[in-house]
Amino acid sequence: MSETAQQDSVRPWRLADWFVRHGRMLVIGLPMLWLGIFFLAPFFVVFKISVSELAIARPPYLPLTSWEDGKLILTLNLGNFQYLIEDSLYVSSYLTSIRIAFFSTIFALLLGYPMAYVIARSTGHRRNILLMLVMLPFWTSFLLRVYAWIGILKANGVINNFLMWTGVIDSPIVMMQTDFATYVGIVYTYLPFMILPLYANLAKLDTTLLEASSDLGARPLTTFLTITLPLSIPGIVAGSMLVFIPAIGEFVVPTLLGGPDTLMIGRVLWSEFFNNRDWPVASAVAMAMLVLLVLPVMWLRRAQSQQEAG
Amino acid sequence: MTSKPSPAQDNPWQSDNVKPFIRIRNVTKKFGPVAAVDDVSLDIYKGELFCLLGGSGSGKSTLLRMLAGFEEPTAGSIEIDGQDMAHVPAYERPTNMMFQSYALFPHMSVERNVAYGLHRDNVAKGEIRQRVADMLELVQLSGYGRRKPNQLSGGQRQRVALARALIKRPKLLLLDEPLGALDKKLREETQFELVTIQETLGVTFIVVTHDQEEAMTLSTRIGVMNNGKIEQVGEPREIYEFPGNRFVADFIGSVNMFEGIVTETEADFVRIRSKDADCDIYVSHGVGCAPNQKLWYALRPEKMEISRERPDQKENFFEGIVEDIAYMGNQSAYRIRLKSGMVVRLTRTNRDRGEETPITWEETVFVSWGPSAGVVLIA
Repeated sequence: MSETAQQDSVRPWRLADWFVRHGRMLVIGLPMLWLGIFFLAPFFVVFKISVSELAIARPPYLPLTSWEDGKLILTLNLGNFQYLIEDSLYVSSYLTSIRIAFFSTIFALLLGYPMAYVIARSTGHRRNILLMLVMLPFWTSFLLRVYAWIGILKANGVINNFLMWTGVIDSPIVMMQTDFATYVGIVYTYLPFMILPLYANLAKLDTTLLEASSDLGARPLTTFLTITLPLSIPGIVAGSMLVFIPAIGEFVVPTLLGGPDTLMIGRVLWSEFFNNRDWPVASAVAMAMLVLLVLPVMWLRRAQSQQEAG
Repeated sequence: MTSKPSPAQDNPWQSDNVKPFIRIRNVTKKFGPVAAVDDVSLDIYKGELFCLLGGSGSGKSTLLRMLAGFEEPTAGSIEIDGQDMAHVPAYERPTNMMFQSYALFPHMSVERNVAYGLHRDNVAKGEIRQRVADMLELVQLSGYGRRKPNQLSGGQRQRVALARALIKRPKLLLLDEPLGALDKKLREETQFELVTIQETLGVTFIVVTHDQEEAMTLSTRIGVMNNGKIEQVGEPREIYEFPGNRFVADFIGSVNMFEGIVTETEADFVRIRSKDADCDIYVSHGVGCAPNQKLWYALRPEKMEISRERPDQKENFFEGIVEDIAYMGNQSAYRIRLKSGMVVRLTRTNRDRGEETPITWEETVFVSWGPSAGVVLIA
């Protein structure tokens, strides 16, 4: 090969080299940029508001920095957080949120696990139809579906009418504006988020493991408890996270279906923002919730990755 | 010359008064309209290492799965140790299986995998520990008990699977392609280990394999399966030297198949005229056949002589041209084209080191064989 030909062939290779070296950065960089703009930046805005002071202004809080006598003064008002602890309303609504989210997750798991199991065990056409049925509700607006539940649960709704007609009850059962209705709404709404990761996990399960277990003398229940269940833990964790985390901050369901005493943190946040126009406290509520959620999730992820490694 | 090897009295399958350990009677398994196993009857005796040999889709794995209890026969019965296995679920059968994929529980350590069967039977903790340690020693895996399956090599996983299947001291061990996932060298070593373990423990083994060499090395007897049926059952030597039909002759080892017409049939000899072989074939024992009947003569490549000189006999030789030679060290393989157009495969042991003028390409040669070298096949 001649000298010039070799030099010519260098140029296009340089570009390729650049991609090889920086392609990784490019691929990772785009989502990072996205997260930076749409997650991290708003996060800092909320954080800033949470440590600022309430003011009757527009926006309704004071700036963090001020200029006095040639000094730049940074005022961090931690009073909003202190207020969260002092006023029992916040603590109790956090606890209510966690309780409702926790039990909703348990119910969704108990309902979703058998459903995911059946879908994973069925084949071909049947499996597709069942998966479709799980995802079908997403084609209707979430708000509409929650309203539909009002029609089902209210005093002269579908359930009460049916029970009265059959003569099981004389007067309607009060279901609307109770914790029960909140649970129904949340479990109903988030069930697909439990089923899909569980299904993805259970569908991967190697059925010869179940045969091996049976072959070694395990009855079906023992096989489930010693093989299927432990191997599906990643699916259980993923599904539970996808239900638990949004359920804690859920606003629509407790507002529409829950009673006045179902104080979940999402509702408190809303009324702080829009009824009291107390943005700093509302932001403090949001920050506290984030910390409350992120810490256990991070701990779980760490435990999971350690388990996978070991 | 007899047609079959003389029966040795110590083999249970040749004795009339030994009860078979496993009786498979007219077992059929249908998946939809397709019969994966078609009316199979088979007796297997205690202490045997029985190989089910066949290609993919021959029904050998389905038969094994029916023995394990993972599939119910559509028709027929299976008896293990005198007990009818109909409606006995897998977890209550006196069998254990070693899976082709090993099916080790990925979330359990080697020890817990091996102990799994004992835990299910509520064996005392101390005894479990002892038996697991003994078993790991038997399969040469002491010291690996704490590892997870994904920290082991293929050969080690294979031995964990074997240990797990043997720990309950099953009456019958079913092995599905036990050596299939190992490389050639490891496979050869493990073959002998498997036989040693089988002899030490005295467990009856049924091995499913598609590898005829493996079947030959391992087994006391082989059942050759094809299209859901058993074509022939016999000792490895019997299957190789006295195949019962063309499928078996062709499936086991390599063979040259000549079609021919019976010209003479007597009690102690048969003469066949074959267009394929371009000569008369003389067989020095009687065959149940009629004159002018069409049949096949199967001749293994190593049972023939190759030479430049015309042999001094009237039959059992033909002339051909060397089309191809493959030198393989210990032996050479020749492909010889006959006048009929047929290509015959022939192997010869390389006995001399410095052959001065070896037979070479395009040379005309004579191929001959003895009167008892080949097998007459009616079907």
